[in-house]
Order: sequence, then structure tokens, then C-alpha cells
Amino acid sequence: MQIYLKYGIIFSIIFSLISLFYLLIKTLSYGRKPLYSKPQENNIKGILYAFWKGILPWEKESAKNYLLSYIAGIIYHLGIFSALFYIISLIFNLFFFNFFITILRLFLITGIICGLGLLFKRIFIPQLRLLSYPDDFFSNILVNFFLIFTLLDTFTLNIRILYFLITIILFIYIPIGKIRHCFFFFCSRALFGVFFGRRGILQKRKFN
Amino acid sequence: MKAEKSLKNPFEEKIKNVKTQDIKKALQEFISRINFDYAVFLNSCVRCSLCAKSCHYYLTFNDLKSIPSYKLNLVIKVFKKYFSFTGKKASRWIGAAELNNEMIDEWVDTLFGRCNLCGRCTLNCTMGINIPYLIRIARGALAKIGLVPPGLQSTINTALKKGNNMGISKHDWLETVKWLEEELRQEVNDSNARLPIDQKDMKYLYAINPREAMFFPMSIFAIGKIFYVTGESWTFSSTNFDVTNYGFYSGDNEAASIMSKRLVDSLKKLKCETLVLSECGHGFNSNRWEAPEWLSKKYGFEVKSILQIIAEYIKNGKIKLDPSSNQKIVTLHDPCNLVRLGGIIEEQRYILKNSVLNFVEMKPNRERNYCCGGGGGQLAMTRFAQRRLEVGKIKAEQIKKTGAKIVAAPCHNCIDQLNELNKHYKLGVKIKTISEIVADALIIKQ
Repeated sequence: MQIYLKYGIIFSIIFSLISLFYLLIKTLSYGRKPLYSKPQENNIKGILYAFWKGILPWEKESAKNYLLSYIAGIIYHLGIFSALFYIISLIFNLFFFNFFITILRLFLITGIICGLGLLFKRIFIPQLRLLSYPDDFFSNILVNFFLIFTLLDTFTLNIRILYFLITIILFIYIPIGKIRHCFFFFCSRALFGVFFGRRGILQKRKFN
Repeated sequence: MKAEKSLKNPFEEKIKNVKTQDIKKALQEFISRINFDYAVFLNSCVRCSLCAKSCHYYLTFNDLKSIPSYKLNLVIKVFKKYFSFTGKKASRWIGAAELNNEMIDEWVDTLFGRCNLCGRCTLNCTMGINIPYLIRIARGALAKIGLVPPGLQSTINTALKKGNNMGISKHDWLETVKWLEEELRQEVNDSNARLPIDQKDMKYLYAINPREAMFFPMSIFAIGKIFYVTGESWTFSSTNFDVTNYGFYSGDNEAASIMSKRLVDSLKKLKCETLVLSECGHGFNSNRWEAPEWLSKKYGFEVKSILQIIAEYIKNGKIKLDPSSNQKIVTLHDPCNLVRLGGIIEEQRYILKNSVLNFVEMKPNRERNYCCGGGGGQLAMTRFAQRRLEVGKIKAEQIKKTGAKIVAAPCHNCIDQLNELNKHYKLGVKIKTISEIVADALIIKQ
């Protein structure tokens, strides 16, 4: 049974990647308009800013204003990446040292706490709830389940079938719902960097 | 009351009576404007709403409709409904919605009435989504079916019909320049001092905001004085002198292109080297950054803000300034389109540090500044005037905290709003352009 579910996970990952690739092709089909205005600064500097300094909490007023949510978001995503690392390792039968398992559990536990915190925030803050759609709640719950079952799997093999099933659902859902942002995030930040970078807004300049 | 109703009704009736073919037309315009960049952004919002407190509308009203991600999602809903598989098949699940009369009503009220297109939300967006430019696309779709709020549309109509947004005739413009030239001659005590018009082969073609000619002629005078002292090679155009572009605000790219092309044509006709733009935020963003995109061509000439030119003059010692001529405390307002979206950030500071004794920064400043509330076409849309004044409170508070007596504002749109805020919030300050402050400090060798 488990071996079939393992194949199921591989197929769901392939489905996810193909769908995301299709989304990329569809997005590209809208066309990349060439930029005609003469840049004031280098695009690359802007992109570097977008992925480094531009996401540091002291650089972003929004991060300062909502520091708890911002930190929770980062920890939540660290938990997700840890869980992804774990499932890929399982598929390829990679061996874990106990030390890594301990670190992984730490990331997963904090990730789950933060994920649930963000879910409760979405449920209990009226403005955020009104701004949310079923997809927002479902995506969060699905990812939280994925983290919880990953954590449980590090302790016991008894829940493995359920764990693999949840993983399959997650990968299939990625391109359908809001989780697709994991893919668009990189494009979006890069475009942000290009826009502000070429206009010379993000790089501090002295005039003298 | 009756009179008020009759004034309001035509536009509201128009919204109520939007027909299916109009909606199709709006959608066609909408999708024709979506490119790869915008499609990425439309797929990226996670509705985390961390952008909320970066918006001065939200800080003022603390309501759902003022959250940038709410505004953005009005656009995303429509995109998903018509142009995404999941949106077509599971609208409610992912929040896709039709563009119907109700949505159009909300687009007008929220996308025109609750946004200055200032870009502060973008800078603070976790995903980096260019929210104002997506809102502008939705505005453009409304413009296509004639649903731009009347005040803003009439400004555009005047500019398209008369060549400038104030409808100043060529005769009146020439008379104004002539009068200012006489003033300049008296001021510098030189009968050869000139404000040149339609001179060919000059280095600079200088474009003004028509409000300067109409209400603030002293800012034109100030530029004349600065160019006189430097002995600059420059000229005005007698016909196409308008730096503004309200098509930028309405989202109407067709109108925006026509307006920008006029300046390009004038520059070519007069064989000037550089297009120099007066102190106008959206005029700078439009002509420096957006116009080449609207016209789909690379300019073979430079487009510069007058602030860049003045800063260079000071740096190269072409003009000498006496800061003691400006003794009062001066603070600086950063116009969003010039600074956060335009990239002219340090020049104005360099100029002020050289021309006044006491310069105090507002907090926050530079690209993190708050919009004054006048941008995005708000000054032209009287239906949202009350909101505009209310959101301006944040800027008024910023000014108060500096203790300044003079607010330097390198944008005539901002100057209008700041003047209103000055009265409304009893700030007791004087609003000036940077050029005026420089002109006051200019040392003229006889």
C-alpha cells in the first residue's frame, strides 16, 4: 500500500510541477512588454534588494507594524520547507541523523504553532475574515495538516498512510488554489526589484 | 438638495445603466493591458493584508475598503472570473466575481475614490505587487466605457481639446510670458533678460504645469531668473507647454499618449536636446517613465526634472546661493510620483540644504513618505473631496511636527492639496516650490 502511495506522491509532485509550468506558460502568453524608458539605475541592484534587504523586517514598515504576523509567516514557511525536505527524503529513502530529526521537529513544531496562529488570525480578525475566501482557509488548514502529519511521522510509522494521502492532496492542490503563490513569489519579487531598481528608488543615492 | 441630486445623477445613472456590450468592451480593454508582469502580480496576492497600515486611507478610515489588498482584490476577482480556469469553475471558492453594475459601482468608488496611486502599499507588500498600476488598469477599463468621474474626465477633455488642462489659449500664454519677462527685466535690472518662446536649437525645452501660468506665475518667474543667472540655452513652446497628464490618473493610455506625444513633437520641432519638466510629480512620472511605454519607443533625448538641473547648477557652481535669504524653518514634502515612483530623491534635499538656513525632514520621508492625498486625480474628482481632505490629516500632522513655517513641495498638484490642508487644519505655513526658494536665495551679479 505504502509503495503505491509513494508513487502517488511522485505523480502528484509531477502533476503539480506540470501544472505550475502550464501556469507559467499561460502567464508568459500575456507577453513581456519591452521597457522603453531609459533606466536610471541597474535592474540587478533592484532585484538583489527585493530578495535581501527589501524583506528584512526593519526595512519594511509593514513588517514593523505587524511584527508578530511577519515573524509567524517566516517561521511557518520555514516549517513548510522543512516538511518538504522531509517528504522528499522519504521518497528517495535518504537517511537522517538523529540530530537533523531534532532540528526538523523544532522547525515543524514552531511552524505548526505559527500556521495555526495565522489561521486563527484570519478567522477572528473581522476585516481579514471578510477579505478571505474558502480557498484561503482551506489552503492554510491543508498545509497545517501536512506539517502536523510530518511531525507525527517523525515519531511513529502508524500514521504514514494518512500522511502520504494528505501529501498527495497538498501537491495536487498547489497549482489550483492560493498556495501557487509559492511559485509566483519569486517572479513577483523580481519584478518589484526591476520596477523600483531601474528607477533608482531602492538604492540610496547621495547627490553631491 | 434637488440641485445636488441633479448634479450627481447623470454619472450614477450611467453606472446603473451599463450595458452588456459596455462590460465586454471594458473587459477587452482590461485584458489587452495585462502583460506577463501584471499576470504574475494578479496571481500573487495572498491577502495577508500586511499592507493595510501602509495606506493613508486605511490609517484614516480604518475600514475594509481602504485596505490595499481589498482594492487589489476587486481587480483580481474580475481577472480570475474571466481569465482563469479555477475562477470560471469555482468562483466562490477562490473569490472570483463578475464585472457587473455592482462591481463597476465599487470599482468607481474604491479604485477611483480610495486610492492616490501613490505606491506606498507596493513598497510594503510582502509579495512586491505593483498595486497602483493594477488599479490603473481597472481605471483604464472604466475609461474605455466613459466611466471616469466627471471632474477628472473634463480635465482630460480640456487638455485634449485645448492643448493644456487649464484651457489656456495661446494668446493668454504668450501674454503671461511677456508680462513675466518684463518682471524679470526689472528684477535683474537687465533689459536683455528674456523668457524665450519657440527658440530653435536650444539645449532645454521647458514644460510647465498650466496651473503655474494661471495661479502661480511666480514659479515660472523663478525658473526664468535661475536660467537667466546661468545664461542657459532654453525655451518654452508657444503651443505644447503642458507637463501634466491626467490620462495617467484616469488610466486612459490613449489620451495619455496623445498628451505626452505633444511634448515630444514640440521638442523635435524646436530641435531641443532635453525635455525639462517643471515641478510636477505625475508629470515627471508620466513623461520620464511612462510615456516611452505608452508610445512604445525609446526616446532619443533626455527627460529631466528641473530639480536635477538646479542641483547640477549648484554642484558646478553655476549659481551661487545665499541661504540667509531663507531664514525660516523649511520642511520638504516628497511627492509620490516624483520620489517613490520617479526616483528623484536626493536632488531636492541637496538644493534645499544649499538655499535655506534651517531645513527639517518630515518623518517618514523620501520613498517612505505619505501621500498628501491630492494624487491619483483626487483633486479633480470633487465627489471624493471630503475623503481627500480627511486623508490629508496624516500629512498635516507630519508638517505640524516639523515646526516648519515653509513647506517646499516640488509638485503643483501637491501644492493645491497642501494649500487646502493648510486652511483646513490651520497649519499656518506657506507652501512654495523649490524653484521659488532657490530664486529667493539667488545671488545675482550685476
